[in-house]
Amino acid sequence: MKYKSQAVAKPYFIAAIGLFLGQIVFGLIMGLQYVVGDFLFPAIPFNVARMVHTNLLIVWLLFGFMGAAYYLIPEESERELHSPKLALAMFWIFLVAGAATILGYLLVPYASLAKWTGNDLLATMGREFLEQPLPTKIGIVVVALAMLYNLSMTVLRGRKTTINLVMLIGLWGLAIFFLFSFYNPGNLVKDKYYWWWVVHLWVEGVWELIMGAMLAFVLIKVTGVDREVIEKWLYVIIAMALISGLIGTGHHYYWIGAPEYWQWWGSVFSALEPIPFFMMTVFAFNMVNRRRREHPNKAAVLWALGTGVMAFLGAGVWGFLHTLAPVNFYTHGSQITAAHGHMAFYGAYAMVVMTMISYTMPLMRGRAANSRISQVVEMWSFWLMTVAMVFITLFLTAAGILQIWLQRIAAEPMSFMAAQEQVSLFYWMREVSGLIFLVGLVLYIASFFIKGKSEAATA
Amino acid sequence: MMKAATFQWLILLAMTAVAVGLSQASLSDNAILAPVLLTTLVKGRIVIDRFMALQGAIAPWRWIVLGWLVVVVGLIGFAFHMAQT
Amino acid sequence: MWFFILAELLVFGVFFLAYAFARTRNVELFNASQLELDQLSGAINTVLLISSSYFVVRAVDQIRHDRSRSCAYWLIAAMTCGGTFLALKLVEFGAKIEAGISMSTNTFFMFYLGLGFFHFMHVVLGMVILGAVTLKAWKGGYSATSYGGVETGAAYWHMVDLVWIILFPLIYVLH
Ligand code: HEM
Ligand code: HEM
Ligand SMILES: [Fe+2]
Repeated sequence: MKYKSQAVAKPYFIAAIGLFLGQIVFGLIMGLQYVVGDFLFPAIPFNVARMVHTNLLIVWLLFGFMGAAYYLIPEESERELHSPKLALAMFWIFLVAGAATILGYLLVPYASLAKWTGNDLLATMGREFLEQPLPTKIGIVVVALAMLYNLSMTVLRGRKTTINLVMLIGLWGLAIFFLFSFYNPGNLVKDKYYWWWVVHLWVEGVWELIMGAMLAFVLIKVTGVDREVIEKWLYVIIAMALISGLIGTGHHYYWIGAPEYWQWWGSVFSALEPIPFFMMTVFAFNMVNRRRREHPNKAAVLWALGTGVMAFLGAGVWGFLHTLAPVNFYTHGSQITAAHGHMAFYGAYAMVVMTMISYTMPLMRGRAANSRISQVVEMWSFWLMTVAMVFITLFLTAAGILQIWLQRIAAEPMSFMAAQEQVSLFYWMREVSGLIFLVGLVLYIASFFIKGKSEAATA
Repeated sequence: MMKAATFQWLILLAMTAVAVGLSQASLSDNAILAPVLLTTLVKGRIVIDRFMALQGAIAPWRWIVLGWLVVVVGLIGFAFHMAQT
Repeated sequence: MWFFILAELLVFGVFFLAYAFARTRNVELFNASQLELDQLSGAINTVLLISSSYFVVRAVDQIRHDRSRSCAYWLIAAMTCGGTFLALKLVEFGAKIEAGISMSTNTFFMFYLGLGFFHFMHVVLGMVILGAVTLKAWKGGYSATSYGGVETGAAYWHMVDLVWIILFPLIYVLH
């Protein structure tokens, strides 16, 4: 760690991991409710658990991105953060707001929560991923703006590199596209447009910039490959991501009441979206193969490579699987969607945050890398979580294919619940894989507490 | 060298005229397909090899771009041919 | 840059084939709608783009001989063609919109307007690139030993031309 102020990233990362654990617990609760319908009835209904699961996901990823930004931007700009105090204050505001929101979901009926938090002043609630009450949404904007101010000032006064500019543009984009969540038109078609402009333009647009910047940063550090080479890759990757991702939004317009031509435009452009993800994989492997040094932090290298592969599988391959309009006609909103959502979110964003944590945490704790034993445990956790996620995806895909067949294609289509009954075996297997995922996550957390003899203390 | 480019430019113009002429000449659909596609192929090759100066360039680029041209024009021909029968 | 050119060619290629194969299922509709197009305007536009490409070739040749000014002149000539192309295209689209035709009218017009507009935006981008190169050339920013920027801009412009060379016969001529 070169600059003292980079240490503000630490609480962000700790909070991220804590919330991640919460997310998985609620995932497992839901997974069980899928097969044992009245599990935890009436304390935690499925829809509430789902909201908690997905909101925790978004919030912990945001914590991760912010922490990463606070670490990466000063180092790239070669100066201290503009205001570490502001960054720390924002951390607490965000944590308290996030916790209060989750408690609100769990303790109060959603309708009452809406009433108490001024949803009738400006109706923004009730849309997947964007369920947060108005004060929370405003809080997110405030926290984001304060962060952007803080980071932009740092970059403006310091060295400007491709990496910190891409990161900054990504974060600005994240904040700007979030503004669409404040508009919730009564017209259902328009409503869907605005919703996708947040959700899709995040994960298949500006978040890719953030991910690319984080990956490039870690790769420079652990491989020692020339900055010029890495920056060239970064340019091409983000350009491809933006070209394909913006018009690729059309792959959500097929059946929502948008004009028919979107079936063409959405199909063709989103079919190109796997390219930037594929390039990220090639990028990561290429850089590691050309490495100029053996970084003692083997675990971080493993995470970086894993991110490339899993992002390509989850977003690229599983995304492509159902992105063409004639295919999506059958798969829309099925377990195939869920399979893709899980692997893509894990492979791209959860893993890139863990890559960053894996690389920076030891440095913030005063060593180049963790002890051997601690790294071994971390690598075990990598494999457990990743393999478990692969199986979750495969089981959900199998469930999805069967579901589509029984419910949408068969000569005598079954009703929704009858079809669900037929595939419950796969849901059980998903739940078992989920438990293994949890074991992996617990090991991951444990790896932070394992001491052992630390490796050479040079960065 | 620039003489050659001027000549190629004139060929491109002439081929455009031929294609438009053919389509105006109310020949049967079958009859114009092959010649029009052929002029397109030649025009594309001139632009790629001469104007883009890919002839003699490092190997993969030229073949990828030329391959693109042949595949696209070829499949267009195939699709139009199918539509006629 | 070459990477982008390939990516662009890929997108256009996919759309061309989509057009060709969508047509096989609806030949009458495509043929009937095609008659409403202004083939003359399309032909003039082809001539304009081909010529502009040729002018760009001349511009590259000039800079190889270290003649910055005349390089810029040829580029301006190319951009004049490009500008006229855009103007004609606007008139053409305007007439269609006037006639109440939109992307939702039918599949043919979806492709005609969609692909046309997509290509239009590429001409605009090409103009921006050429404009930047022209400015730099005018100021003497290139020389016989260092003119990579001119070549890159030229390559992009030729790509825009190449795409039109296929687009024109495909949508305006073949039936
Ligand atoms: C890291 C990047 C990505 C993430 C995190 C992600 C995540 C998601 C999620 C969570 C959904 C479900 C949304 C809902 O609740 O309805 C979804 C839907 C979808 N995604 Fe992605 N995705 C990513 C990349 C991609 C890519 C690259 C493609 C295409 C190649 C793609 C194609 C689709 C399609 C077609 C749907 C709609 C499925 C349906 O109709 O039900 N995604 N994505
Ligand atoms: C490990 C155990 C996990 C289990 C058992 C689990 C289970 C579930 C269930 C049952 C749903 C609701 C699906 C529905 O509405 O029918 C869901 C949704 C979701 N989960 Fe998980 N989850 C787990 C882990 C994760 C992880 C690690 C991530 C991402 C990093 C994740 C991201 C999501 C997303 C994005 C959705 C919304 C999907 C959509 O809208 O299609 N989950 N999960
Ligand atoms: Fe999407």
